[in-house]
Amino acid sequence: MNTVFQFNAVSKRYKDLVALDEFSLTGERGKVIALLGENGAGKTTAIKILLGLLEANSGDASVLGMKSRTEGDRIRKLVGYVPDNPTLYEWMTVAEIGWFVSGFMPQFNYLNQYEELIRRFQLSERKKIKELSRGMKAKVALSLAMAHNPSLLVLDEPTSGLDPMVRREFLESMVDVAAEGRTVLLSSHQILEVERVADSVAIIKQGKLELFESLESLKQRVSELTITLKNGRPDLPHIPGWVISQKKQGLTWQVIVRDFDFNMLEQVRNIADVSHAEMGVPSLEDIFLGYMHGDAGLPTGPPSVSQSEQPVADTIEGDTQL
Amino acid sequence: MIFKIDPSNGLAIYEQIVRQVTFAVAGSSLIPGDLVPSVRELSRELAVNPNTVARAYRELQVQQILEPVRGTGLEVTTAAPKRCRQDRIKLIRERLRSVLSEAQQSQLSETEIRELVEGELKKQSSKRKSR
Repeated sequence: MNTVFQFNAVSKRYKDLVALDEFSLTGERGKVIALLGENGAGKTTAIKILLGLLEANSGDASVLGMKSRTEGDRIRKLVGYVPDNPTLYEWMTVAEIGWFVSGFMPQFNYLNQYEELIRRFQLSERKKIKELSRGMKAKVALSLAMAHNPSLLVLDEPTSGLDPMVRREFLESMVDVAAEGRTVLLSSHQILEVERVADSVAIIKQGKLELFESLESLKQRVSELTITLKNGRPDLPHIPGWVISQKKQGLTWQVIVRDFDFNMLEQVRNIADVSHAEMGVPSLEDIFLGYMHGDAGLPTGPPSVSQSEQPVADTIEGDTQL
Repeated sequence: MIFKIDPSNGLAIYEQIVRQVTFAVAGSSLIPGDLVPSVRELSRELAVNPNTVARAYRELQVQQILEPVRGTGLEVTTAAPKRCRQDRIKLIRERLRSVLSEAQQSQLSETEIRELVEGELKKQSSKRKSR
């Protein structure tokens, strides 16, 4: 079985607010899958539904073949989970909380592994949780989540507000988990970190899955064009390929485009009002912002070559100050 | 050798690893018979996805710069130094080409470009001496 977790057309509403809208996503064994999206896009809701901590209004989710809706307890014993704001019993010591949690865990060596992780993270066993810094608390939460060698590790913005040293340790742990062929589901705003560790990226926009693709394919297929216009032309001429977003700064446009090649670049350079056109590799941040600003829709297989069917994103007026 | 990864520099991370190994072999900081770190070690050290490191190593094996040694890992091949020196020139030429075309498109004259290159070269070599 290669599927570790799955969302199947999951929708969730909070009164009038649609938090998730027909959200589907499949996570395969041994992959690091990153959820990207603005605050309130539905990332945490998705994670909570997956772990059975929230109930979906429709659709279903599962982890390792267990249904999130009915088997949440079992799922949470097999999965490692670091919530965005972990709550730990403040009056316990680092050692006590490990012992306490181990009581709920069916895995026999939970406590040993926990103690090993605590040593690796250089946490003092005798310190009370309330005496720990934010970074140290996060490391306790991560140790608790990893001590049973979970086949799925779920991290909800694990490194937000942490210092670079702790963030690095989190990254190394994720890399370790992936190297052992286990799966990581990570929600994060740290795009540079995601770029380092993720195999695939899922972009959620207003509760909908905007994109799910391997990082490798994204980087290969998405290009950034810088086009300078002349003759005072205010609008961007037609660009071949699949335009994801376009942004204007003075006479220069930044266009994020899919499936663009050098022949197309020549075509653009030959347009009468184009004085200059360059093609580059966008960073994941540029791609992410492109998808967030644009309205490119979900790629369903290779995009059509016929020009009439190409979705063209809404124009965004960029900051015109230079 | 020390690897350094910059996820935002426009090159795919696996490509950065491939280049760094290539340049290290070309510059003799890695010599035939040297073992490279395991996928696990390197991915941890760089905090990058192990599949990315594995991909870079596969690419280096296809290029016959690395080869597996039974039981120990991947080592630099005897053919690697020659190959890497050629690759190094090719890779740097490509970078130079794109910089030069940008310079030309920005309406710099040939003399100005030459002066820039010469000036930067001088700066670099004096930096190197002072180290």
